[in-house]
Amino acid sequence: MFSRRTLLTGAAALGGASLLPSLAHAKGSVIAATYPGSWEEAYRTVVTPQLKKAYDVDLELQPLYAVDQIAKVRAARGAPPFDAFVLDPGPRITGIEGGLFKKFDAKKISNAPNLPDGMIDEWGICVGAQVVGIGYNPKKLPKPKGWKDLLSDPWVSRLGITGFQTTFGTVSLIEIAKAFGGSETNVEPAFVELKKVLPKIAAVGNPAAMAGLLQQGQCDITYTNIQTVAILKSRGVDIEFVKPDSGAVAFFTTMHIAKGSADAENAYKYFDTVVSKAVGDVLSKPPHNFIPVNKQVVLPPSLPMTSLDEMSTYIRHDWSKINPLRAAWIEKFNKEMAK
Amino acid sequence: MRRLAEWQLALPLALAFAAIFLAPLLLLVGVSFFNDDKITQPGLAQWAKFYGDPFSYKVIADTMLLGVKTVCATILIGYPLALVYLGASPRLQKVLIFIIVMPLLLSVVVRTFAWIVVLGREGVVNQLLLSLGIVSEPLKLLQTELGLVISLTQIEMPLMLLPLISVMSRLDPNLRDASAALGASRWRTLFTVIVPLSMPGLVAGCLLVFASSTTAFISQTVIGGVRLIYLPLLIWQQSLVVFNWPFAAVVSISLLVSVLTVVSALSWLGRRSGGYVHG
Repeated sequence: MFSRRTLLTGAAALGGASLLPSLAHAKGSVIAATYPGSWEEAYRTVVTPQLKKAYDVDLELQPLYAVDQIAKVRAARGAPPFDAFVLDPGPRITGIEGGLFKKFDAKKISNAPNLPDGMIDEWGICVGAQVVGIGYNPKKLPKPKGWKDLLSDPWVSRLGITGFQTTFGTVSLIEIAKAFGGSETNVEPAFVELKKVLPKIAAVGNPAAMAGLLQQGQCDITYTNIQTVAILKSRGVDIEFVKPDSGAVAFFTTMHIAKGSADAENAYKYFDTVVSKAVGDVLSKPPHNFIPVNKQVVLPPSLPMTSLDEMSTYIRHDWSKINPLRAAWIEKFNKEMAK
Repeated sequence: MRRLAEWQLALPLALAFAAIFLAPLLLLVGVSFFNDDKITQPGLAQWAKFYGDPFSYKVIADTMLLGVKTVCATILIGYPLALVYLGASPRLQKVLIFIIVMPLLLSVVVRTFAWIVVLGREGVVNQLLLSLGIVSEPLKLLQTELGLVISLTQIEMPLMLLPLISVMSRLDPNLRDASAALGASRWRTLFTVIVPLSMPGLVAGCLLVFASSTTAFISQTVIGGVRLIYLPLLIWQQSLVVFNWPFAAVVSISLLVSVLTVVSALSWLGRRSGGYVHG
């Protein structure tokens, strides 16, 4: 049937093929979820080559919003489609409550001494901070002072809003509520005030569509995070970021290992690379404008804060109080805003 | 014996359908009968919550109405286009079929974002209207039902045209000549000969456009915005943001049943018209 030669050739080919993947992934790989857009772009161009250089680990990125990551891992029931999460505070709490994370071992992060206290806990590691405020087109509108301005002329007729689906949307609506007498757990004043000006509002959009709506001039002012403004600006959109007079909102972004991950060791190497000085130095500069956690990184003037200590001067929210109320807020937003 | 063999041939497909379609569907129905989002307490609470809220009926009605409006618009534009195709030379037919199929070659996300550029405040349509002096202020087309129906009409058009053209091109051209020879006007020939004979294609097109436009989540939320609330948006919010899967299951089943009801009515109509044509 087979000559000795063909058999040997076949065996060599099979052997060669089995060698190939191990050559390509000498130290293995890690699959990490990342936010679509600015995060994905930054991680692909900066973190991926750095992880390969420092640890010889291949990074595969899966662009997913925080809530999508939680939903996917919950649905996978113990066989997560990726090894590492990147989450905002709300979904982080949902993840902890749902038992989706592996316990975190701080000893495996060589950069740990370079991080401020409290950046690593039993569930994960903080890799950066996000700042939320107002983005507006300075060519079309005067500079707004604060959240109240959004709902008055001339801004309201050019205003684009989003609901409670995202972290930036939720915290902004809370801040609008606070400006009209509400609180972190009482967003009713925001609904009352929004309802009054609803016919004037330029766009009530899906968060994923907001960048497009701003670019096309459908709306010229919205609440958003500083990275979105930075990326739109780098693409030539007329947009400026404003810290509201009552203060901008800040929240930490954290990374976690998915329970059931087969590459936990590589995930630690990935986290260590993300919080390293080398990555922080590049990502903190334009066009990325990420706020790094590594104390050795000198924060460039393009960032809204000069040191991470300033986080305490920003408005923070308690997501353990917000999470249980969010479903009702989303439903209420649907009903109040529906045509 | 031979009949049994044929039946056996269909078995792998039937099993695959059972595994990848029927099983998840049964799971969906099962999940809907739980009261809590942790899926631990069986009960009817989520059904009671959805159907006890008048807002849900409005969303169901709006979703179905969107489908009906898109179907009407695709018929109004698609049917004359199919007639043009029939009357065209074979070379022109090739060009037309390419133009018709082209939207299918683009991702729905790209098509949807292209419509933002077209319908936006500073978009092509508004700039044209402003430069011609027809309007003094830009029209609000994005985030309106009109804008959504316009874009869905283009996005779903191939689904109407392809079955329609496939049925119409099989029509015997002699029938038209016979009708004309017997003294019927062009319009009378159209409505008494061509339209009834093309009914199976028309019904198939309506069916596809209706099912596709009522479930077009991306187009509905990106072009329509979130003030126009349709069932797919509710499903997405409940399953991916709020993580209330039992409630999401109830909304999903409601969407499925509503769409299936209309689709069944349409296919009944299709079968009836088929009988009328051939019987």
